[in-house]
Amino acid sequence: MNKKMTVTRKQQFAGWIFLAPATLLIFIMSFYPMVQAFITSLKTGSGVKLKWGNPLFVNYIKNIPADKIFIRSMGNTFLYLIIEVPIMLVLAILLAQILNNRDLKFRGLFRTMVFMPCAVSLVSYALIFRTLFAREGLINSMLMGLGLISSNINWLGTTGTARAVIIIGLIWRWTGYNMVFYLAGLQNIEYSVYEAAKIDGANGWKTFWHITVPLLKPTIVMTAIMSINGTLQLFDESVNLTNGGPANTSITMSHYVWNEAFGQGVGHFGYASAMSFVIFIMVAVLAAINMKVGDTRD
Amino acid sequence: MKKKVLALIMAGAMTAGMLTACGGSATSDAGSAPEATAEATEEAAAEEAAPAEEAAEEGTTDLGGISDDPNTLTVAAWDANFNIPALEAAAAAYKTKNPDFKLEINTVSGSSDVENAVTNAAQAGDYSTLPDIVLFQDHWIQQYVSNYPDAWKDLSGANIDWSDFGAEKLSYSTIDGVHYGAPVDNGTAIFAYRTDILEECGYTIDDVTGITWDRWLEIGREVKEKTGKYLLSMDHSGDDLPYMFMQAEGLSQWKNGDPDIAGNETYQKLLQVIVDGANDGVILLCNSWSEYTDESIVGDQVAGVMNGNWIIPTIKQVAENSGKWELTTIPTLSGKEGYASNGGSSLYITANCQNVDLAQDFLAYTFGGGEGSIETYDNALKNGGVITCCISAGKSSVYQEPDAYFNGQPIYADIVAMGANVPVVEQNDFHYNLRTAVGTAITNATTAGGGSDLAAEIQAAQDDIVRQMNL
Repeated sequence: MNKKMTVTRKQQFAGWIFLAPATLLIFIMSFYPMVQAFITSLKTGSGVKLKWGNPLFVNYIKNIPADKIFIRSMGNTFLYLIIEVPIMLVLAILLAQILNNRDLKFRGLFRTMVFMPCAVSLVSYALIFRTLFAREGLINSMLMGLGLISSNINWLGTTGTARAVIIIGLIWRWTGYNMVFYLAGLQNIEYSVYEAAKIDGANGWKTFWHITVPLLKPTIVMTAIMSINGTLQLFDESVNLTNGGPANTSITMSHYVWNEAFGQGVGHFGYASAMSFVIFIMVAVLAAINMKVGDTRD
Repeated sequence: MKKKVLALIMAGAMTAGMLTACGGSATSDAGSAPEATAEATEEAAAEEAAPAEEAAEEGTTDLGGISDDPNTLTVAAWDANFNIPALEAAAAAYKTKNPDFKLEINTVSGSSDVENAVTNAAQAGDYSTLPDIVLFQDHWIQQYVSNYPDAWKDLSGANIDWSDFGAEKLSYSTIDGVHYGAPVDNGTAIFAYRTDILEECGYTIDDVTGITWDRWLEIGREVKEKTGKYLLSMDHSGDDLPYMFMQAEGLSQWKNGDPDIAGNETYQKLLQVIVDGANDGVILLCNSWSEYTDESIVGDQVAGVMNGNWIIPTIKQVAENSGKWELTTIPTLSGKEGYASNGGSSLYITANCQNVDLAQDFLAYTFGGGEGSIETYDNALKNGGVITCCISAGKSSVYQEPDAYFNGQPIYADIVAMGANVPVVEQNDFHYNLRTAVGTAITNATTAGGGSDLAAEIQAAQDDIVRQMNL
């Protein structure tokens, strides 16, 4: 058979062989579980007593739309998304711009410091934030000491503040991470472009808006997709910082999925899988829109 | 166009990959950290009720499996300050009967490790990872026996006199008339008060014993006004107050397998006590287990503590308040003395046990009220503060000793006596789901949570439970 192959064919064949192990692994470790999860999502019941839904898509057409807590968790997640992602990305791009300045001393040190929060485990930072914002925590003590409040604020026990604390935590944790991408993007922009702009008399803002932002567009699109993706799957902060409370007003979708599967020992695995597929579809749709908007080719 | 389609597919694949990858890492991350802090900050008793554990636990904990030796049993349990000394006491006691006996104790970080291991083993259909015996929380076992019936071996062959145990405790581990668990501790609820603070307001411990909730609220408002202390606190992220309040009335939140809370006048009155208490600064509803134990109890913000008696070691962490506490029964709507129970665990033989006779004999001889039970329970109390619910073992002299921290009150004898009065109430698989839904209802009904109509909130909670039960 080999004799019949042309050189190009042979090369293509070799390419496929090289691809095969990775492809196989992705299929076994990623796609097979996804298919299984989809099959599970058609079942109802708990524990090992799962049975096929009646009708088959009962989880999708009846159970999920009727679930007020899931709807609420969806609202919470999108609230985080809408408020947190833009603030974070703008901050990240500004920080990157500042730290890309060639005249700045100790650039490396500052960059490391801004990136540092990313090296902290999600759970430990969430627990530290919980301690900081506890009723008798540092934040309350500080505000009391400064005379700004007269009695302790129940940060994590009040809807608005609990959500705010989660958003503050997210910004603290992830801004540096996104900044690194922008820094890398900025370093790919030729310095001569800036020099040309300077000669043409563009001020700092104009340079930023007309040179930096357009040239960074691919990076911006990528960070936006990753942030949206990550926020939709937000889990650790909801579990460890607020435990979804008060009264489920800060619970995220992933946290609720986990609650249904493991959190209360009930083991509604079918229903939980169905909800994760709904999240999956949302992520895919948002990513597609994002790519469409950001795509400047053809 | 082709490029775009390809790009879309790749984006889809990428997000799909991330979905599985991120989900996985996030959950396994969440595994041990809260546990570690919980363990570090809480002493003996935190285990049964720590919702931090319930909230953030996952991961495949290997419980070690079984041993090849015919005289060795393996057991998985949590809490080195509480349950482990009890198991060690039992192993030592059983050696008088069987000198070759060995008990291999695998100390796990929390009750949820055992629960997850059983879930994982059952889902995989392979029980070989489980040890011979596991310690299991009472409130969860009904659900686990009904969800995973093949994971357990019952105790019908064991020589245990079941009438020697508090009926309420047995009601958890008895499923369809079959005994599955050997009781370890006693979850009888206590209501402990700071007598010095009560005195400051002109009250004694007798004035808060056998009173109505209305009277209790009055006293609580006075205490708050004069001393700034709350009369009660609770971790509201896993609020056990409604359950205990109902049990003190002799009632359950369940009736014939269905939630019985909407339109239930008694229930609404009891929840109203919690809501009023929270609004008036009498009850402190904490956001987390740590705020409940570390801040409200150890932080000395409360003049009263009500929970399962395993909360006593937490109270005792404040050394300077020694001699100032006393404990009594729970108020009720009518003013009769209320008895309840919360938390506690029992030992269960798993499907993986190959030496069921030895396991049954060991449990019967020690925790089951056999010849070794006095030795077991006396040492369990001395070394771990574990109080028995075995009536005959509770009569030993160790139990009659006064406790200096509680002003010389013989609290262990008192707790065993109270335990005999705890009414048996209906249990349900969906206990924790109901607890969560009712916690939400209470939050929404308090002024801080928006002050919505309590009856409507209870109805919403009931609807949510029914929805979950039908999933």
